[in-house]
Amino acid sequence: MSDRRNAPDPQPEAPLLARAVVALYPPAWRARYRQEALELLCDLDCGMRAAASMAWRAVPAWLWPPRHLHDRAERMRASLAAALVAWSMLAGLGLVFEQLTQQQPIRPPGHAVIGWSYAVFDGAFVLSGLILAAGGLPLWLLMLRRARRLRSARDTVYLLLPALAPAAFLGGVAILARFISNPDGIGPWWFLAVTMAGFGAAATAAAGPGLALRRLRPRGPAVRLATTACALATATMLLAGVASVIAGAGLSAWARGFAGYHQAAPIGVYLVLVVAAGTVAAVSAGRGARAARR
Amino acid sequence: MVEELDRWADPPLLVLASLADEPRHGYAIIQDVAQTMGVHLSAGTLYAVISRLEARGLIEPLTRDGRRRPYAITATGAEELAQQSERMRQVARVARARLSTRTGMAGA
Repeated sequence: MSDRRNAPDPQPEAPLLARAVVALYPPAWRARYRQEALELLCDLDCGMRAAASMAWRAVPAWLWPPRHLHDRAERMRASLAAALVAWSMLAGLGLVFEQLTQQQPIRPPGHAVIGWSYAVFDGAFVLSGLILAAGGLPLWLLMLRRARRLRSARDTVYLLLPALAPAAFLGGVAILARFISNPDGIGPWWFLAVTMAGFGAAATAAAGPGLALRRLRPRGPAVRLATTACALATATMLLAGVASVIAGAGLSAWARGFAGYHQAAPIGVYLVLVVAAGTVAAVSAGRGARAARR
Repeated sequence: MVEELDRWADPPLLVLASLADEPRHGYAIIQDVAQTMGVHLSAGTLYAVISRLEARGLIEPLTRDGRRRPYAITATGAEELAQQSERMRQVARVARARLSTRTGMAGA
């Protein structure tokens, strides 16, 4: 990494396409190879073929990052921070699913697949949260002690965000509910606004410990435990996501008269979001788990 | 057909062979492999290979030459290249012997 400090400035004449394809690579790869890769692309006149080959090879660089570019603890911290945010998005999607299905006053007609999917979703969702909390607690306490020792108010706030952000969100929802006295509940636009605010709160709650990880740079068994727990929690949350998609598809197929489940668009959007968040969570958690195992 | 067979060429081996006599930077490696071995390495493939070989300690980066960074083969890399070359030599010997038998049969 010292090369980065000693490296000459990036070529101002490097074409935008060259800089764009190199920007697709992970930060650690860019820190090590950016200069020379840009130089090579310039030597090759940055043709479409060279640019396409560089862009395509960025995928394995993310999936299987070169071992020599990271120290182990740093990779665990980076993967943990990314996986936490993706996990919180999955959890948020799960809560939306819960609200739109099991929490509705009218129960859809029973079907074995829907019933089992609900049960698997509930079990996996709760288990995932418990695993993450239990595995992350020692690391959280370690960082909190370090933040207090350093008298860093900012890091303390970051570490308290997992409690502060959801509390602020729930407080806001409670206040909002007082002003809306509609017996049929809130309308779709209000629901969308509350849902977006919920995702914002979830992302903020997850980003807090991620920022503290970057600033406090903890090492040792607590980081390894939290990374392993995060991988397990991600796996169980993915199981919950799959169960929710099966339940959603089941409702669409077998409960067509209930609410809006006969419409394909909502379940399609839900599926895309689960797959996107699940992919990021699985890749990040997998990278962290591989680093923790070595 | 020849182009299809080119895909069998092992890029890490080509890069090691290119660095066997002297250190080279990325563009020089691509040119050398194309001129001496007849295989075109793309920029993406080259940097994937450089990263992998460096991680395995088979090549090492040298001090920058301007903005370019040359790479040199390590002792481990030279040993690995020698082993792979010997294996390829055996394959080539068997292939030539069998092809000559086939040619002889065809001529008989």
